[in-house]
Amino acid sequence: MGKKILVVDDDPDVRTFVVTVLEENQYTPLVACDGVEGLEMIQKHKPDLVILDVLMPRGSGIRLYRQLKTDDDLKSVPVIMFTGIALRSFLKSQKVLEEFKGEKVPEPDIYLEKPVEPQELVDAIRKKLA
Amino acid sequence: MSANKILIVDDEQAIVRLLSMSLKSDGYDTCTAASGEEALDVFEKQSPDIVVTDIKMPGMDGLELLKRIKERDPDKEVIIVTGHGDIDSTITALQYGASDFINKPVRDEALAIALDRAQTKIRIREQLASYTQDLEEKVAEATVEIRRKSNFQRLLIHSSHDAIVAFDQDWQIVVYNPEAARMFEKRARNVLNKMTIDALYPPELATFFRSEARNGTHDRGEMPWKEMTLETRNNKQIPVRYATSVLHEKEEFMGIVNFFQDLTEIKRLEKELIQSERMAAIGQTVSGLAHYVKNILIGLKGGSYVVDVGFQHSNMEKVKSGWQTIQKNIERVANLTQDMLTYAKERHPEVKLCAPNEIVTEVKELVSDFAKAHDIEITTRCDPEMGQMWLDPGTVHRALLNLVNNAIDACMEEDDLDRQFKVEIRTGKTEAGAAVFEIEDNGCGMDEETRLKLFTPMFSSKGGKGTGLGLLVTKKLVEEHHGTIDIDTRLGYGSLFTMTLPERPEKGRDEK
Repeated sequence: MGKKILVVDDDPDVRTFVVTVLEENQYTPLVACDGVEGLEMIQKHKPDLVILDVLMPRGSGIRLYRQLKTDDDLKSVPVIMFTGIALRSFLKSQKVLEEFKGEKVPEPDIYLEKPVEPQELVDAIRKKLA
Repeated sequence: MSANKILIVDDEQAIVRLLSMSLKSDGYDTCTAASGEEALDVFEKQSPDIVVTDIKMPGMDGLELLKRIKERDPDKEVIIVTGHGDIDSTITALQYGASDFINKPVRDEALAIALDRAQTKIRIREQLASYTQDLEEKVAEATVEIRRKSNFQRLLIHSSHDAIVAFDQDWQIVVYNPEAARMFEKRARNVLNKMTIDALYPPELATFFRSEARNGTHDRGEMPWKEMTLETRNNKQIPVRYATSVLHEKEEFMGIVNFFQDLTEIKRLEKELIQSERMAAIGQTVSGLAHYVKNILIGLKGGSYVVDVGFQHSNMEKVKSGWQTIQKNIERVANLTQDMLTYAKERHPEVKLCAPNEIVTEVKELVSDFAKAHDIEITTRCDPEMGQMWLDPGTVHRALLNLVNNAIDACMEEDDLDRQFKVEIRTGKTEAGAAVFEIEDNGCGMDEETRLKLFTPMFSSKGGKGTGLGLLVTKKLVEEHHGTIDIDTRLGYGSLFTMTLPERPEKGRDEK
């Protein structure tokens, strides 16, 4: 069995794609459709990596990312942000939240802007899990 | 004292002297003559106001003198001194315009009375003359003023940017300004006082004004500004704003006056403005769309990758799921293109006889698989009385589909997972016979802020999953159909969209 990788994305097409990429590269895919389900899955399955969308209903990727990075048990779980939102916009939203909440979370290690080639995604995963 | 100068004429020197002395002592200014001929001479030179003359004189007698004096100046008063019983001479003297008679021998009192009367006559005549002159001056002044005012009004009407046409009580055209000539393309000289309302206006309009004038139901004869398309006798269609006044004088119909404003240019600018606003909206939308298009691209790329993988492993399940992704995204591109075209282009509803309830069933069919997959129940409650209606089936279909898809999205956005999500489509008719479609969901609903922004371009509450065009297109289609969309919504409880579409919207527009 390969390493467990959780895909959190509300778009079923993206989930199918990422799951297929993961299967092709001998990883064990897990899926969640939104932020709430994503957090449950992370707590339950302790995945080796989370591939996280930003814009989702029911607890956005932004919220889930902050939840992970401020939870002592979970903050070590590597996260690849995988989204249609430009990094610049994402960082700006983080900055606003940091000022608002007065807490600082690290920037995501890897930020992939959709669309990505399957190989780019695999490279990113490998780099992170190495 | 006016009329103070008196000429005394008598061939008897004694009488002349006596009278002269007597009158002078009364304050008159006198001159004398001993014959008719001499009297005329003195009259020319001294211009007395009153002449007192004996009737019987050698040479020119009193009557002849009277006649000559009256010829020269009819305003001079002549008092004739006659013998007793000389009726014939008296009558002749009256005919010649003598002012009075005194009998011989001349008594002072009789002369005083006669002079007094003559003076009164002169005074009255002078006053009359002065009044007349005054009156003439006043009339002249008034005429100038009236001419000035009438000129002013004529110029006002002449240079008005409104076309002004007025009809008298016989419906003859009595006012017709250059703008009217331009609008109706007929020269003023062929129209003014030559044509009636029926020759200038299209028949319906002429009939309308005739009946309006007869009814006279309007307060002070004024009708409010209205808009219409004026069809001239030369078959030109001009959009106009027009007003009418029915003119009355003492309850009696005097005619009517029409004012027309040519709205061609305004309409053109309005159209341009709407078009450019729409283009700006498309422009704003482009950046938002890029995101949406990117999502489609992700879907297509991802889908084809999944299909490839499926083929490599001969895994038909994979091929199928990848192919579904591709098909779904092709559908999204098609819809997006359709939305953009619909929004960008001006379009008139293509009205056909169609069954609204059948369209509802079609739309339900289209979304039912997707809804089922997300545990959303779609129900319909159609009014069996709807039958066939004159609507644009394309508008109904597209608007319904957009609204139902929104309702489904709203259900998927709601956090309350215990809820049994439902979307209901209902049909019915208004009292006026317009078709009503209600789309109700118990999804996430909207707050006030979202509701207010719903119809602004490029507003999407669905993140990258919406183009921001759906409701905009729906609203445009509905407005082109002269219909309305109302929204009743509550955050966390669901929304009710009510779309009302009148039958035969083209006809409705003409009546406006």
